[in-house]
Amino acid sequence: MHLNSDLIFRNLPEGIFMLDKAGRITTCNAAASAITGYEDTEIETKPFYTIGDGQDDPIKYRHELALVQKKKRLVVEGWKLRKDSTRYWAETSYSAVFDESERLTGYCVLLRDITEQKKKQLDLLESEERYRLMVEAIRDYSIFMLDPDGYVVTWNDGGTFIHGYTESEILGKHFSVFYPSADLLEDKPKKKLQIARDSGSYREEGWRVKKDGSLFWASVVLTALFNDRNQLVGYSKVTRDLTQRLKDEEFLRQSEARYRSLVEQVGDYGIFMLDTKGRIVSWNEGARRIKGYSADEVIGKYFSIFYPEEDILNGKPAWELKIARSTGKYEEEGWRLRKDGTRFWANIVITATYDAEGRLSGFSKVTRDLTERKMSEQALQDSSDKYRQLAEELSVTNSELSSVNRELEQFTAIVSHDLKEPLRTVRSFLQLMDRHLDQQRFDLMKPSIGKGILAAQRMHDLIDNLLHYSQISKIGLQRQKLKVGDVIGEAIQNLNDAVEQSGAQIRVNSDVPFIYGDRVQLVQLFQNLLANALKFTNGSKPEVVVKSWMENGSVRFVVEDNGIGISPDNLEKIFEIFRRLHFANQYAGNGVGLAVCKKVVERHRGKIWAESVPGSGASFHIVLPKI
Amino acid sequence: MRTFRLAIVENDEDERFFMSEAFRASGEFEILGEFGNGDQLTEWLHGSPRVLPELVLSDLNMPGKNGYDIIDELKATYPDIAVFATSTSSVMSTREKCVRAGAKDFIAKPDIFIAYDSFVTEFYELACQHLGG
Repeated sequence: MHLNSDLIFRNLPEGIFMLDKAGRITTCNAAASAITGYEDTEIETKPFYTIGDGQDDPIKYRHELALVQKKKRLVVEGWKLRKDSTRYWAETSYSAVFDESERLTGYCVLLRDITEQKKKQLDLLESEERYRLMVEAIRDYSIFMLDPDGYVVTWNDGGTFIHGYTESEILGKHFSVFYPSADLLEDKPKKKLQIARDSGSYREEGWRVKKDGSLFWASVVLTALFNDRNQLVGYSKVTRDLTQRLKDEEFLRQSEARYRSLVEQVGDYGIFMLDTKGRIVSWNEGARRIKGYSADEVIGKYFSIFYPEEDILNGKPAWELKIARSTGKYEEEGWRLRKDGTRFWANIVITATYDAEGRLSGFSKVTRDLTERKMSEQALQDSSDKYRQLAEELSVTNSELSSVNRELEQFTAIVSHDLKEPLRTVRSFLQLMDRHLDQQRFDLMKPSIGKGILAAQRMHDLIDNLLHYSQISKIGLQRQKLKVGDVIGEAIQNLNDAVEQSGAQIRVNSDVPFIYGDRVQLVQLFQNLLANALKFTNGSKPEVVVKSWMENGSVRFVVEDNGIGISPDNLEKIFEIFRRLHFANQYAGNGVGLAVCKKVVERHRGKIWAESVPGSGASFHIVLPKI
Repeated sequence: MRTFRLAIVENDEDERFFMSEAFRASGEFEILGEFGNGDQLTEWLHGSPRVLPELVLSDLNMPGKNGYDIIDELKATYPDIAVFATSTSSVMSTREKCVRAGAKDFIAKPDIFIAYDSFVTEFYELACQHLGG
């Protein structure tokens, strides 16, 4: 037995030292030598602590031995040095050895080199520590662990930051404290743990409660944790505060919604979007009201449906888009069509729209119905035109009235002078003859009778001329296309006798083939002018030239003679009726010819005037409108 | 009793004959000249006659320079000569027109030109009113 036990001792794979009761080494086995590097003979009688502790610490050694003596057994771990000074992690198990009478006889020390084991453990610890530190330091995420029942077992800075609880406040609390009361009523926390356990994880976004009671929008991932035996050991929970993101999204969404509802509800403006090809993609209330189409009817259609046919045939809609594409904008006013085919006067603005990358995404089109405005403008214009026309008519009537008034005045003067005079002469001679008869002076009667007859004849002529003159303004004016040559020719024909008598030369140089007017009156006009040209000479043969040419769209006639001419004072007076420059015995006449000329020209909406260098003849100028 | 130096302008020879007869018969006027129209009158005036008339009695309706032309012209060239207009017209507007143009007055001719006596009397009174008698 003794031999056997010694044999076992020698061959045990664990290093074993036997110590006396003072703690000095009495023997060690081969395994012990292998661990420490010392042969048993080298270390016998040395205190155990001196081999490999690297430091002399007898006090601690004595304390440990005392502990062993008391507790029978003590395990110590720590670094020890081998003989070659290399380090190993040693697990030292002390056991006290007692004899039969329970007296301490020594100690048995079991030494094991557990360096490898320790290293693995240390690596693991180090790794775990790194993760722990990392997790604890994350602030953007709340990351913590729950035990299988949902109680918080770990906490990080993110948790404090997001949920508001410090680690000490929250550890051991149930995770349902993070849920709003409504969720608690529905037992949501428990259900979610259930889902995570059944399916491995549970994700959601939702409202959570902070320590101060405020809500935040959280993105939550709850993951069930199983050990290698597939037993649930707890849950990890990662929470992120998305309130800001939500706010941004909500803001955008609200802003877009506000904008959309604004645009959709605008009633006075048709606002809609076109895609890049010009197809309608959105529609608002204003567009419905103005154009009469509902959104359903119109979305997807090409926007040319609002254009009149001629615009479509001219490719105007596409052209407008082209302008908008190249310059960013197209604006105009014009007619557009409603659904019922009626037209409205539109002000339109097409604006090219671009996406974030600057690519053309389509067009916005804003349409305003200006029909009413245009109509009222038109009405205003019409009424203004009407009033202007009325004013013009009034002005015409006024000038006609003053002209009638002037004629009346003229008539008064004519009756009171020109007609009354020969009558008075006749009467005077009759009275004179009566006196001669009383005086039996028959010899004196003959000249008086002759003068009376002459005066009566003069009166007859005056009345004829006056009637003729007044006829010109009374009889309706004919508007005929007349050959100028014919008109002048007829005038000359009528003066045939006078032409022959005076031996006059009349040349006609007419560039104008036709005029429009009253044949009888225009013949009278030229006849009177030519008659004057033949009459007012100082004995030499009359040479008369009639010319015509186009001038600023009007026809200009000139009747030029080589007669006595007219003094500047009289150039205008000669056109007054019964106005005569000469005594009848000098140049016969009745003072009506040029007045008739003036009236004829005025009735043809023309102008007549005379030019003369006295002694070098006169020229009469007439301007008549072509039509 | 004063007499007035007078020039007569009348285109009708017979009328002018009876008219000047009546003026001479009255003894109240000295007739410096008788003219057929304004042209003849102004021609005479421009010829610087030895004595100028105080009064011109002018018909209105005449060939060439008529009564209105004489009123206009003398107003500018001989403002000291008083022009009186006459005519067959019996309408008020004729008188107004003459006075407005610068005539001293207007006297309608008698119904027949062989009865100028009362015309001369009226004219003398008017002349005295305007030029002082």
